[in-house]
Amino acid sequence: MPKRSPAEQLDQAISALLSTSQPLPEANSHPSIAALVSLVPSLRSMPRPEFKAALKSELQRRISMKEATVPSPAPAKAVQFRRANFPNIAPYFLVEGAPRFIDFLVAAFEGTERIRVPRPDGSIMHAEVAIGNSVIELGDANEQYPQRQMTTHLYVPDADATFARALQAGAASIYAPTDDHPSGDRWGAATDPFGNTWYIATAKGWVPGPEGVLTVQPYLHVRNAHDMIPFIEAALDAKATGVHKSPDGIVRHATIEIAGATFEIDEASGESQPNPSYLHVYVPDTDAIYAQALAAGAKGVHPPYTAPYGDRAASIIDPFGNTWFLATYLGTTQP
Amino acid sequence: MVAARRPAQQPSPQAADERLLVEAAQADLSKFDVLYEIHFDRVYFFIVSRVHDRTAAEDLTSEVFHKALAHLPNYEWRGSPFSAWLFRIASNAIVDHFKRSHREQQADDLEHSLAQPDLSSTDLDFIERRVHFFRLVEQLPEIQRRVVCERFLEDRSIREIAQRLNKTEGAIKQLQFRALHTLRAQIGDRDA
Repeated sequence: MPKRSPAEQLDQAISALLSTSQPLPEANSHPSIAALVSLVPSLRSMPRPEFKAALKSELQRRISMKEATVPSPAPAKAVQFRRANFPNIAPYFLVEGAPRFIDFLVAAFEGTERIRVPRPDGSIMHAEVAIGNSVIELGDANEQYPQRQMTTHLYVPDADATFARALQAGAASIYAPTDDHPSGDRWGAATDPFGNTWYIATAKGWVPGPEGVLTVQPYLHVRNAHDMIPFIEAALDAKATGVHKSPDGIVRHATIEIAGATFEIDEASGESQPNPSYLHVYVPDTDAIYAQALAAGAKGVHPPYTAPYGDRAASIIDPFGNTWFLATYLGTTQP
Repeated sequence: MVAARRPAQQPSPQAADERLLVEAAQADLSKFDVLYEIHFDRVYFFIVSRVHDRTAAEDLTSEVFHKALAHLPNYEWRGSPFSAWLFRIASNAIVDHFKRSHREQQADDLEHSLAQPDLSSTDLDFIERRVHFFRLVEQLPEIQRRVVCERFLEDRSIREIAQRLNKTEGAIKQLQFRALHTLRAQIGDRDA
């Protein structure tokens, strides 16, 4: 029988140890091999590199989410350009059947309808529903602004209860709230009857700052998200407050702040395909931002004008297909 | 070696650096990464020395760092190493883990042992040796490191590893041998 090599002897001893959890009898093993086999328990107690990397990634994502939900204090000037009851970047839903959509928001998310501007035919030109400390805007879709299926991140006190109410109100479950979401929060997802996706989350294991968390944040799945960050910074004076990238540069999550309010983006993949959205954001100077956005590559939809409701307004489309309604509040008293 | 027992009155340059790192992370949470990289190994080996189950150890390590991140703004530097705070969080998580597992008596015993103000030098020595060993593994040539991880952490057979790395089984055994031989040479006669 040919003599086995040290590598063969070592592997035989290791295989015996791994299969029986018993060391090979000393008599059957050369001392130098035994010395190597004695390292096996230490090797088996090591952390998996994948686990270490995944946990780091989870923590980075959570940091990014925390920065998303506790925006830095807006400058004093913000009080002058933003309506007081408009703290967030509002997703603007244009849907076929806006009255039914309002009913859904009220039933599913305990929304409070605060404005409804009807057209003569009964459709809705503009409406606002307050949810938690935030606001959602909506209207009936039309030829110029067709319905889009958007994604919104909700922070609520009890994700399970809200998720159950959403299903009761007609939403379909994507997945029930779970503690295993990479964000570390309790997190579920559902699709409403209009095809919009809602991420329903409750902060878990961390304490929001004194500002609390914004209930509503638009969430954009973007193709080439890494290109959106420099664009949005140049176009809208935005600041990426938390960017979590994979080692190969894919944006896994980023929080973008514009004038003290935030939205979230990530790279579109799998089920989360690009979802061009309508967004309404208050900025310090609509005219200046409009010009800046066009210079950065945005396409103008409506140049700045003074709207009858007291805002300086304009709209643009960014290179990723999102429509931005820009606004600066011109009033001197808060409504 | 026994960092937790170092007198707090005269902070070492190392402690001062650590304090700066903690304060930087408190001011900007994105800098928590640095603390994670420094302390991950110690926390993991602290836990795995008490919870002899990799899945549970990973869950608890995850819990410790999530809690540390959540409570970092409230952390106050009192002269002890930052790792001592992490070990305290880990101790509580381990006790809770055993209570959840209905191993009350073990939990009570553990709670008693963890109630000591400092870890024993034996504990710390064990953790430091494991950390050192882990870092030696990380410094192995990439192909050897991968074989070691696949064999001992992913529980793959020599045949599976050979297929995955597109090599012969004999070559994988040689790489395994070289890796362990290198590690043994680096740590000498000591336990890993």
